[in-house]
Amino acid sequence: MTENFNHILLFKTNVNCAGDKLLLQTIFDSNPAIEQWSVDLEDEDCVLRIVSYSLTHQQIIELLNKHGYNCCELT
Amino acid sequence: MRTRNADKEQLVKQTAIDMIVKSGLEGFSMNKLAKACKISVATLYIYYKDRDDLILNIAMESGKLMSDAVIKNFDPELPFEDGLRQQWKNRYKFMVEHPKLNLFFEQLRSSSYQEEFLSGFLQEFKIVMSRFMQNVMERGEVAEMAFETYWSIAFSPLYSLARFDNEGKSMGGKPFKLTDDVLWNTFDLVVKALKK
Repeated sequence: MTENFNHILLFKTNVNCAGDKLLLQTIFDSNPAIEQWSVDLEDEDCVLRIVSYSLTHQQIIELLNKHGYNCCELT
Repeated sequence: MRTRNADKEQLVKQTAIDMIVKSGLEGFSMNKLAKACKISVATLYIYYKDRDDLILNIAMESGKLMSDAVIKNFDPELPFEDGLRQQWKNRYKFMVEHPKLNLFFEQLRSSSYQEEFLSGFLQEFKIVMSRFMQNVMERGEVAEMAFETYWSIAFSPLYSLARFDNEGKSMGGKPFKLTDDVLWNTFDLVVKALKK
């Protein structure tokens, strides 16, 4: 079975508390290009997972950097 | 492009169950799981949103597997002894074929996942099981009693034997291996206890 997963964007971040998550909510929920998002606060990499068919990794990284978070692509 | 790989998915599920059974839910993390499977953490996050999503997915799938195995060839209209025998056969077969899953379910039982886990797969299972209990009580084969009493007598002995067998020893460290003789002898005593 082959499926394309290019619309799932994964990042290592320093988002690590519920407050940070709330801020992300205000950023992402209002963005129509983002279908779904979640952040795993229990993980050591605080993995941010975004489902988007139009945004690129770079665009998300810039968006988070602008709000003062570190963010890089999880490979 | 990343692709979905059924073998890899199976490896992830099996390894997660092994790790949780061995070390519990607390120390379990996506990072450790990825390392154990020799895959990248990113691959795990392709399949699952987060740790909770992964655990719940595996729990639901395993629960469904169990529920299907337990109600296979089981007719809730069967007479008490025949029905219960089929139940013991099915449950015992499942335990032998999936020795880790019962231990995995034990871990879930005391966790925050339990509620969601139960609400998922149990619907059909619950209906069939309670129908059988109702039937045997209505027919007067078994005296009226609380569900918990019924369940404890009907199935706890089987799970105790399975646990002894799994650990390879019974009370006081005495070596133990479950044989068909012991299993069905216990079953006969259970029937004797419940049947009017």
